[in-house]
Amino acid sequence: MSVRAFRATPFSYATLIIVSAVLCVPLVFVVSIALSSDQTVNANTFTIIPREFHWENFTRVFSTELPMQRFLLNSVIISVGAVAGQVLSSGLVGYAFARLRAPGKNGLFLIVIATMMIPAQITMIPQFILFKELGWVNTFLPLIVPNFFSNAFNVFLVRQFVSRLPSEIDEAAMVDGLGFFGIYRRIMLPMLAPVLIAIGIFTLTATWGDFMGPLIYLNDESKMPLALGVQYITSTSQALQAPPWNLVMVGSILLTLPMILVYYLGQKYLYEMDISGGSAGVK
Amino acid sequence: MSRLRRREALWFYLFASPWIIGFVVFLLGPMVASIYFSLTDWDSFTPPKWVGLDNYRRLLTDDPIFWKALWNTFYYAAISVPLGLILGLWLANLLNKGVRMRKLFRTLIYLPTLVPLVATAMIFKMVLAPSGPLNDLLGVVGIPGPSWLLEAAWVKPALILLSVWGAGGATVLLLAAMKGIPRELYEAAEVDGASSLRQFWSITVPQLTPIIFFNLIMGLIGAFQVFSQVYILTKGGPNNASQTMVPLLFDQAFSFYHLGYASALSWLLFAVIMVFTLIAFRSARRWVFYETEVR
Amino acid sequence: MTSTSNGGLSRRGFLGLGISAGMITLTACGSDSDKPSGGNEPAELVMTVWGGENDKATYQKRIDLLVAKYPELKVKLQLIPSDGYAQKVQTMIAGGKGPDIMQVAENVNVYSSKNQLLPLDDLAKKANLDLTQRFGSIGKIYSYQDKVYAIPDRSGAMIVYYNKKLFEAKGIKAPTADWTWDDALSAFKELTVPGKQWGYTGAGWWAQWWSFVYQNGGKIIDDAGKPAVATDEVIEALQWAGDLVTKHGVVPTQKQYADMGADVGGDAAFASGKAAVNTTGFWAINGLSKATIEWDIAPLWRGKQQAVTAFGSGLSISRTTKNPDAAFKAIEFLTSPPAQQQIIATGEDVPAAIEVQKSDAFLKPAWMTKPVNMKVFGESSEFIYRAPFIPAWNEMQKAFDDGLADFWLGKTDARSALTAIQAKLESVVKPA
Repeated sequence: MSVRAFRATPFSYATLIIVSAVLCVPLVFVVSIALSSDQTVNANTFTIIPREFHWENFTRVFSTELPMQRFLLNSVIISVGAVAGQVLSSGLVGYAFARLRAPGKNGLFLIVIATMMIPAQITMIPQFILFKELGWVNTFLPLIVPNFFSNAFNVFLVRQFVSRLPSEIDEAAMVDGLGFFGIYRRIMLPMLAPVLIAIGIFTLTATWGDFMGPLIYLNDESKMPLALGVQYITSTSQALQAPPWNLVMVGSILLTLPMILVYYLGQKYLYEMDISGGSAGVK
Repeated sequence: MSRLRRREALWFYLFASPWIIGFVVFLLGPMVASIYFSLTDWDSFTPPKWVGLDNYRRLLTDDPIFWKALWNTFYYAAISVPLGLILGLWLANLLNKGVRMRKLFRTLIYLPTLVPLVATAMIFKMVLAPSGPLNDLLGVVGIPGPSWLLEAAWVKPALILLSVWGAGGATVLLLAAMKGIPRELYEAAEVDGASSLRQFWSITVPQLTPIIFFNLIMGLIGAFQVFSQVYILTKGGPNNASQTMVPLLFDQAFSFYHLGYASALSWLLFAVIMVFTLIAFRSARRWVFYETEVR
Repeated sequence: MTSTSNGGLSRRGFLGLGISAGMITLTACGSDSDKPSGGNEPAELVMTVWGGENDKATYQKRIDLLVAKYPELKVKLQLIPSDGYAQKVQTMIAGGKGPDIMQVAENVNVYSSKNQLLPLDDLAKKANLDLTQRFGSIGKIYSYQDKVYAIPDRSGAMIVYYNKKLFEAKGIKAPTADWTWDDALSAFKELTVPGKQWGYTGAGWWAQWWSFVYQNGGKIIDDAGKPAVATDEVIEALQWAGDLVTKHGVVPTQKQYADMGADVGGDAAFASGKAAVNTTGFWAINGLSKATIEWDIAPLWRGKQQAVTAFGSGLSISRTTKNPDAAFKAIEFLTSPPAQQQIIATGEDVPAAIEVQKSDAFLKPAWMTKPVNMKVFGESSEFIYRAPFIPAWNEMQKAFDDGLADFWLGKTDARSALTAIQAKLESVVKPA
């Protein structure tokens, strides 16, 4: 049965096309600048629509002495670790906060939310000292391990998603003799798949693009991720010197492309999975 | 407490233990440390000197830039948060329709949030130039455009514009949640002859309130802590007209080496955010619909 | 699966908390409790520098020369992207272990005033290094309370870039060090075509208008260490710089700059031929060597006296180093002519050593494609003024940025802007 709420009218097409264009036209500039020659960049005479096509800017980034492949590999290792950690831990904690009753839970939830209100910038130095005492500086550990303990954002997110699910589901499972862990694994987990995938995508993009964490915690060039590596190509040796904008844009594009691909392909699992059945997991 | 309830509580703490342990190990120490530093004069190099509440006193009574930044932060949050919520919901609803190439549209609308901010900021400077494309467009409709980033009165709207450009970020969760709304609800409404707008208001929105609420809280916290956008696009200028709380504390901590002062600033910001978040949680009882009581 | 890994980590984690709670204050106090992680290899010196790829290559070449000469030294170069340098170094030091050798610039005294750098006078004496002889007037530019905390390494005066074609078209002779403010202004006026072309790119950046302040006999910080920006000499110089934009229209306004393109400043406006004169550092040469305009360089013009800002950086030794003698030996070599030659050979910057600035290697570098009067740097180095690198450098700059925003728009005059800034600076700058 076709439902009006989901019916696409010519008007929806028109709106989508206009909105997408408005949002993405600025990105044409990014490409245009990325393809500009050094002279153009030096005089900042780029145009919105590409006039010149210096594709070699893209290969230039890889022809430096910097170990770009190594940077890429490091990015993958750190990101995969971070995503695995968040996905494994967030569902469990969020489910507990949404469904299980325990004394002190409300107070604890307030603390969860409160931890987000203190700017990360201010705890950075004490945190660095902590990781240094653990002997984790110049390793990937400070960038990966904390993710295995979930974070406030994701706990809150999963809690909100679980709270949308009817409680009859767990009650029925309880009657069937499933324990709390059983309910989580057999019933909740499949239904939470989209939100866990969303968490995966958020964690991936945040970790992939982060350069402050790696900057602070890593010392060896061979350990650096791509986001930091791109900084080496675009960094200038004097404060007021303008950066090579064409390479900045090339770097930005190279950092963005894998994320676009992940989101494009990940949609299938985010939005198209059939989870509305509700009782699907009960044996 | 019954045995069953005790067992449930035990499981709660077991399930929540990853977060509890992570909090105690990685965050509690640094947070307590920052409270202590907020009561000291500390440059991060030499030992902290105890000054009691002096940092707080100076911020509240002796630092005009603090008040300016606080006002700017309110301004930014008051407009960008509701705007982001409404646009996100509207876009998600559009993307939820059975349009062809919806994967492409979803990607294009999410794309702005994926591009690194250094690139975005550069592009915005081009778009917002006094004779740039945006003002050209406004000129067509007969509105003389301002010099966005150069004028104290227009630099905050420019930052809000940048936040609006990233509104597609909110569509991810809303879309995922929309997919979880039982289809039978819509089919029943269809039989009753409800229009698509009516179906949106009476089914989609109520069913999404837990996620809208999530977006509201995260939007609030994010707006009060807005950092990179300001730092990269305007550096807080001209003359602090776009200075907000976190860039201000970042300067104090890492450019001026007043970490004690910056810590005090961050705890004041904490208090402000806490007040607004509690108000939001209180109001949630009236408009957020949970399938089960969350207590 | 999650629960097992938690069990393992939590014990270490709790240990970490206990340690952290106690250590945060301890480490902040600068305890040297750090153990070298390597074992018993010869002490490796960690050297932090900022910049990009070319900087890394240049520093590495110099280190290679150093190690070839002193095989017992081991230096590990750590390049940090410029935007994150200060923060990275601050975190390293706060964590209890700074780099052994550390590149510093205008903010050197942030570290020295907080007792994080070793004074180098005695080490220099021991090594028979005469700073004034090697580096000229800037030899002791990185000093605090009469002690030297960094050895100059790179140092190029700000220079005048001028567009030869535009000058010839108007029959104006090339700028010289003897130009007065009036000479400069009348040339700018002739070279300006309203709304299309400008005589000069402007002096809105501290390095530029401060040069005029010192030319006019003013000082930003007086000899007693107090801010002195509301004096007649400073006011007159700033007003002159401001009038170029608002009164004479020979410098683009902020709006005109914004319309030239995103982030266009003086360097880009000059490179695109929209402005006839630009005052900036050595770095513009690299970009301009591929530009379509014809250009050359000259020393900065003069006011009542000659004065010009220099851009540079020095090398310092962190107080936490285990091996100050080795670190100084390294710095001494890295700032000596053979190592300094690499700085110009790669086109990175102007070497601080005067001897190298006057050598053929500098005057005719192999990479230079155009005839450029490189002698200008050596000439200018004679009248570089000593800029006040106070500990509150960044705060002072912020006070100027904020306080002059309206001035550059022509909304207020130099006297009232500087009077307000003076008041602000008096609360920020504590006399040494």
